[in-house]
Amino acid sequence: MNSKSLRVLSVLLAVVLLVAFVPGCATKTDTSDTSGGTTAPKPSIKTAMVTDVGGLGDKSFNDGAYAGLQRAEKELGVEIKVLESKEITDYESNIDQLATAGYSPIFAVGFLMTDTVSKMATAFPDTQFAGVDEFFDPVPANVVGLNFKEEEGSYLAGVVAGLATKDSFDSKLNKDNVIGFVGGMDIPLIQKFEAGYIAGAKAVNPDVKVISLYAGNFTDQAKGKELGYSLIEQKADVIYAAAGQVGLGTIEACKDKGALFIGVDVDQYETVKNSGSVILTSMVKHVDNAVFETVKQAVDGSFPGGSIKIFGLAEDGVGLAPFHDFESKVPQAIKDAVEKARTDIISGAIKVPTTP
Amino acid sequence: MSAEAEEPSTKRDWAAIAQKVGVPLASVLLAMIISSVIMWVSGYDPFAAFAALFRGSFGTPKAFGDTLLKSTPLILAGLGLAYGFRANLFNIGAEGQLFMGGLAVAWLGLLLAGQPWWITIPVLLLAAMLAGAAWAFIPAILKARIGAHEVITTMMFTYIARYLVSYLVIGPLKSPGQIPQTGLLPSESQLPRIQSLFSEATLQAMPFLKLGRAHTGIVVALVAAVVVWWLLKYTTLGYENRAVGYNPFAAETGGISVQWTIVKALCISGALAGLAGAVEVMGVHYRLFDQFSSGFGFTGIAVALLAKNHPIAVVPAALLFGAMAAGGGTMQLEANVPQKIILIVQALVIFFVAAEGIVTYFVRQRQKEATSHVG
Repeated sequence: MNSKSLRVLSVLLAVVLLVAFVPGCATKTDTSDTSGGTTAPKPSIKTAMVTDVGGLGDKSFNDGAYAGLQRAEKELGVEIKVLESKEITDYESNIDQLATAGYSPIFAVGFLMTDTVSKMATAFPDTQFAGVDEFFDPVPANVVGLNFKEEEGSYLAGVVAGLATKDSFDSKLNKDNVIGFVGGMDIPLIQKFEAGYIAGAKAVNPDVKVISLYAGNFTDQAKGKELGYSLIEQKADVIYAAAGQVGLGTIEACKDKGALFIGVDVDQYETVKNSGSVILTSMVKHVDNAVFETVKQAVDGSFPGGSIKIFGLAEDGVGLAPFHDFESKVPQAIKDAVEKARTDIISGAIKVPTTP
Repeated sequence: MSAEAEEPSTKRDWAAIAQKVGVPLASVLLAMIISSVIMWVSGYDPFAAFAALFRGSFGTPKAFGDTLLKSTPLILAGLGLAYGFRANLFNIGAEGQLFMGGLAVAWLGLLLAGQPWWITIPVLLLAAMLAGAAWAFIPAILKARIGAHEVITTMMFTYIARYLVSYLVIGPLKSPGQIPQTGLLPSESQLPRIQSLFSEATLQAMPFLKLGRAHTGIVVALVAAVVVWWLLKYTTLGYENRAVGYNPFAAETGGISVQWTIVKALCISGALAGLAGAVEVMGVHYRLFDQFSSGFGFTGIAVALLAKNHPIAVVPAALLFGAMAAGGGTMQLEANVPQKIILIVQALVIFFVAAEGIVTYFVRQRQKEATSHVG
């Protein structure tokens, strides 16, 4: 009798817990869009994006692209839609369904969708497609590749790191003139980050020693922490990580052993809680701007199909985030050097390498 | 865990089967009801959501093709898990064996370029099975010889396999270009799509054959299900497997080598997982890359669980999970329900299958009430 009622109670509790817990998660990713049609001036086009398996909430390019779409919804009055992918095989069916439903342009986020976009572009010749971080060769007439000069933003990060390690504006900086880099996978995309970072650091501090380590993936935070420890062991006092979630582990290592960290893709000061004491700045990729601009061009009838667009410093596609907690500590000389490097890159006086 | 389906000779056996089928069905139903409540509370329309989910997975031949596409690796992985479970072995590392199967196919497929399909396809499928079995062999030996728990060892081997594949697709096996992936398999090494087997005229006459991306790997999976069922039911190998699963001490006393049976069971389990990797590479991506599997080896555990380790029941169980995966896009598009809700439904299904006691408890309670009313 007693155990019976206990069992019933536990089942009820489980149900209540589930019901109570889930709405919080679910409403956050609400993708519905019912207001856009009524408040906007004229819903000229329907545009949509397909996330990669990282999905919304990745605090990186999926969220960035979505922010771009939301801005387009607000400012241009377009109708927007997001389909999240759970599996690699979702890419094609998601794009297929959006194209069938008349969405255009369709944004495919992440290089793993390159093949799929090429294929769907042939199947739906009247639909416009945009691939974020995707290179096409040749580029189909209804496709635009949206890519970023990560090396240019990384160059600025290198300038900051190269000067900071010589300076001692923070107690975490040492006198050994060593800085570190943590990469995700050793692939051309990530090598661009490394190359820019090294070039920037060497330009302002020719004797600086840059140690680069690769994690082999973008997800293993424990590995990121380990690599962080290893770099700090080798006297690195500023570490730049272009490694997705691996970098979160590196942040932990920096907090633990006292080193400064430069974030990537988004302003990680905003997205990684309680890390203000180590995050010096972040190299930001403005996926949102690129997506917004592309929607705008589609609305204006000037969709740049058949081309690869590359967003660098000049296009405001990449840049450095604010110093936040370090704003008052960072010497004006460093800020000036960053500004000079920025103008030199935009003017073409500095050519940033893409391979280390 | 190891449920047994005997020949339904008497009414009582039929009742037993009805109960075996009933519990998973009730679990799915309960999961749907609770997720409906969750959707309703979160401000979504559960009826629209499930209608969209159904349309996106069974509504059109193309949608059904997507369901088949997503079910194919799940059937094979689920079979591998079920075979292990029958011997009371938890091959949690099916994902690693799946990666090795995919790796074997991606590498050998390029080497075999120029051979006719009737050589390449059997050779590749066999190679994937061998690779999967080989990857399970060391944990199997460790388990049989020194009793190292297979949950730990196969899991560790999964990490090795994943990092190995990661390294190979970035390094030695990488095809030219920006993306870390192996070269495209020649068409003779690809498992053709089902609709490509028929002429345009046949497809016009029978539009239900326009199954979109569904490929002939589903045939491999269905054949495998029948073979595993036959193995378990009618062969000495299967008998020994089950005997060791029920009671290893009794089996040993009965003259069965428990150690050898464990090795065979894990290797067969691994071979089936390897096959799952092979159909993904040969039927879907035609190449290997880091993330080619969406955790099929792990979803396979849920599939085997839902099927109560019966090889034939693995097919509908995998279809259910495949359908939920395939319909997710339509559900997002038409009912505005986020993808994450699908994960909740899946989790609830697994929860109720695992917590079978809850369901049987209510069923028994019902029966008790019914009899008391009669009495």
